[in-house]
Amino acid sequence: MSTGVKSAMSDQEDKQAEVVPSPAERPAAGSQRERDRDRGRRRHRNQPRHLEASINMSELRELIDLITENGLTNFELEREGFRVKVGRGTFVEDPGAPALLPGASERQIGGQTGSPVQSIPASAPSHPGALAEEAASVDQDLHIITAPIVGTFYRSPSPTAESFVRIGSEVEHNTVVCIIEAMKLMNEIQAEAAGEVVKIYVENGQAVEYGQPLFGIKTQ
Amino acid sequence: MLTLDLDLGLLVLVMTSTRPFRKILIANRGEIACRIIWTCKEMGIRTVAVHSDVDRDSLHVRFADESACIGPAPSAQSYLNIPAIISAAEIFNVDAIHPGYGFLAESAYFAEICEACNIKFIGPRPGVIQLMGDKVEARRTMKAAGVPITPGSPGALDSEEEAIKIAREIGFPVIVKASAGGGGRGMRIVRSEAELGHALETASTEAAAAFKNGDVYIERFVERPRHIEIQVLADEHGDCVHLGERECSIQRRHQKLLEESPSPVMTPELRQEMGEVAVAACKAIGYSSAGTFEFLLDEDNRFYFMEMNTRIQVEHPVTEMVTLTDIVRNQIRIAEGDPLGFGQDDVIMVGHAIECRINAESPDTFTPSPGLITTFNLPGGPGVRLDTYVYPGYRVPPFYDSMIAKVIVHARTRELAIARMRRALDAMVIEGIKTTIPLHLKIMDDPDFQAGNISTRFMEEFLSRNGFREKSVGTASAALTGASG
Repeated sequence: MSTGVKSAMSDQEDKQAEVVPSPAERPAAGSQRERDRDRGRRRHRNQPRHLEASINMSELRELIDLITENGLTNFELEREGFRVKVGRGTFVEDPGAPALLPGASERQIGGQTGSPVQSIPASAPSHPGALAEEAASVDQDLHIITAPIVGTFYRSPSPTAESFVRIGSEVEHNTVVCIIEAMKLMNEIQAEAAGEVVKIYVENGQAVEYGQPLFGIKTQ
Repeated sequence: MLTLDLDLGLLVLVMTSTRPFRKILIANRGEIACRIIWTCKEMGIRTVAVHSDVDRDSLHVRFADESACIGPAPSAQSYLNIPAIISAAEIFNVDAIHPGYGFLAESAYFAEICEACNIKFIGPRPGVIQLMGDKVEARRTMKAAGVPITPGSPGALDSEEEAIKIAREIGFPVIVKASAGGGGRGMRIVRSEAELGHALETASTEAAAAFKNGDVYIERFVERPRHIEIQVLADEHGDCVHLGERECSIQRRHQKLLEESPSPVMTPELRQEMGEVAVAACKAIGYSSAGTFEFLLDEDNRFYFMEMNTRIQVEHPVTEMVTLTDIVRNQIRIAEGDPLGFGQDDVIMVGHAIECRINAESPDTFTPSPGLITTFNLPGGPGVRLDTYVYPGYRVPPFYDSMIAKVIVHARTRELAIARMRRALDAMVIEGIKTTIPLHLKIMDDPDFQAGNISTRFMEEFLSRNGFREKSVGTASAALTGASG
């Protein structure tokens, strides 16, 4: 069972909404102690100290305060033995907040009976590519680098290293622009185009699907 | 599970144990993916759909809670792409994968990888999938478990001499079959000793080309067999029941078109005998989850084991209708570790159910007819179930199976079920593509079908009675069905 904190926010700029990649699976270049510290720091910030199977009211209130203070709409915590899910109102995604993370928003596809024809849901369920596709669609004259596999997108070879590319970087066909991790393997993705990076459609640590736009390259 | 409604007006707290599944990834597409999603919704389990890029608008993607595109159209790069599927499963943090039927459903390798990645594969253990996937080994194992098998060679043949000796023992006609095969390829009917040598050679060559394994074995060939299969359900604690039989004799080129339960020739005694044999075999091999034992029934109502399918089958709805069970639900509960919760005495069979598989094909020539569906009217009313993944405005892709819907009816008697199927098919209007609905209507009107006089020869005889002229398909299947051309 994964033991991490996942949180989705309507306001994506708040630091506390950082996406934690699949825990314990990312080989980090930093020292073991550094990594432990990081993990501990994250845990302290977002998680009450003791959450046993029989939760008590004061811890619960702490949790609730955390959520309301930070404007969270959904909060999910998993530990060995149990899982906690807390949400504001019904689990309907705030229409003003595009979902970047898979599973971040629980969509209520209102009241359909499951009969296949009469009511097709107007909006598709959350999938990793939704937002990026919208953004990329306006950049018709750019060469779009898309994900050739499904996995987790990383901007740099390791958590402490520099990004492979940034806005303005020049790339050649075989320039490595990012890593997509799938099944514990780090796959280096090459630009396969020559030009300047002008758009980046995804965030570090974000799950990406096959065909999802990653970078926009202005070719010569 | 503890639920607190905190009366703060805002929040609901849910605590669950880790054993029941919270989230299942469906490694499939089309109607079975939808079917699995329906039951997951009923059980409160979140669903993850994976799809190829051309399936972006497919119904299973629309109704799943989450989805991810895992590759381009070709199955090898998408629905058979194990790394892509596992990668998606890990990203979405699923508890289990339901493989449906076809694709990776009977891949022991895929089941093993799921296990290694701590994802529960909804099906039997990899070792059991492997065992029953090897047809020669399966026969041997079933024989040892006391299951009647068609008289034939104990294993793959070593020589023509051995083949002749066995053929003399079991009597002609015999059929040569590929050990690694299926679907009619690598098969030859042999009616006399003189033909045997040549048949062995060609079958072996064909098998080597199609399945990378030229091993062949021989069995007695039954001229007019019925294909009767027994549905089983087994939990992971050693308990097993059967849910009765399905009659699946109406096939064209080894593809089933129409199935029903119960079989028109079944008696309670025969059902009990076949059911008990299947259950005993399951226990002998340590089977778990849903499975199907396929038998041949000869003209004297003797049954012989053909093969076992270690997955849910396309035609499972007819069993669900007459036994009032949800097979997918049982698969999920079993995979969660729950005991079966009911015994053989609790299994009931009520009424009669028929299923027609509707394919996007011309009803006259069977050529595939993918394309845009402009009109789609679903039949409804009493005793009608429709399992489908298409809708008006949906574009049926050319890359996959041509089956677009299954119409299932349930009624008190077989006669009433036939009448019900006829009116359901009449009300089912699909425009924009061709479908095999007219073919099924003709079958409903066929006197032999109505009388229950069916065998695996039915379709071939029906087609020639009704003036179909099929293109020649290759010697194996032609020899098997006797079709000329």
